[in-house]
Amino acid sequence: MAAGALRGVLWPRAAAGLRAARAALAAPAGARAASEMSQDMMPGPYPRTPEERAAAAKKYNMRVEDYQPYPDDGLGYGDYPMLPNKSQYERDPWYQWDQPDMRHNWGEPMHWDFDMYIRNRVDTSPTVVPWHTMSKHFLLFLSIMLIMFGLGEIYPSYRPVGPKQYPFNDLYLEKGGDPNKKPPTVIHYEI
Amino acid sequence: MGAHLGRRYLWDAEAEPDPLNMPSFPAELGLPGRQPRAMVASAAQLAQARVPLEQRDFCGHHLLRLLRCQRDTFPVPWQCHPLRHRWDSCQHHDYVMRMKEFERERRLRLRQQRLRQRHGDGDGDSE
Repeated sequence: MAAGALRGVLWPRAAAGLRAARAALAAPAGARAASEMSQDMMPGPYPRTPEERAAAAKKYNMRVEDYQPYPDDGLGYGDYPMLPNKSQYERDPWYQWDQPDMRHNWGEPMHWDFDMYIRNRVDTSPTVVPWHTMSKHFLLFLSIMLIMFGLGEIYPSYRPVGPKQYPFNDLYLEKGGDPNKKPPTVIHYEI
Repeated sequence: MGAHLGRRYLWDAEAEPDPLNMPSFPAELGLPGRQPRAMVASAAQLAQARVPLEQRDFCGHHLLRLLRCQRDTFPVPWQCHPLRHRWDSCQHHDYVMRMKEFERERRLRLRQQRLRQRHGDGDGDSE
């Protein structure tokens, strides 16, 4: 009991001591490690003046002529550049990219949805055949097939023979007829 | 195969038999002394052999003999060929009878048309 009580006293005291030592060594809240990006490399607010636009273009490694931020309509992304919505599939597969699997060079501005446009995911490559040609061919085929099947339903095809004749009043009991009732008499004749 | 379909859908549907409404004339018309078809195997035998309903027709006794032979001589496949031929032959004659029924229906319908044209109004199918 004495040891248990002693342990109950020592444990919170040791924890408090550890916390104090850690606080003495820790940096103030909100600080970042030196290996991370500095504050001037992070995205900022929407650029209003031409100097802000030039500074934002330089930050993102883009030319001022190419730099175009998302429109500032309340749903924008600050000064992040608006790049064309093309997936990485459309980039040259034979060029020596720094990252060949991503088809991306070091320092190149990345699309906002870069993780969606990687080659394992969304592909915006153009179709081999123009879209209207594809849809015309498909709709033509579908309509012809549906019309032919519909005609086959309205005008069925059959051999020039009579229906097959079955014994026992057309298998009345075998098809689930009531054994207590008298079945409709069906007699088949030879011909 | 298709002449009867062309006649039915594009020409005169009254003269062509409708396989869903057959036979539409009395069985004795034009064929006096017709014998009804005889069924050799009983319903109980067919049910006991668990024959599918589509095969419980007037050739059922041949089928039962064939199945019995196949069960007894498995896995030798050639010993039941005579019984198989007898069943197939029975099915063939059954199909020929169906063709004859179709033709009879067609001729009676044409005759009905001729009688209607001759008498002018609906006095068709009696003697």
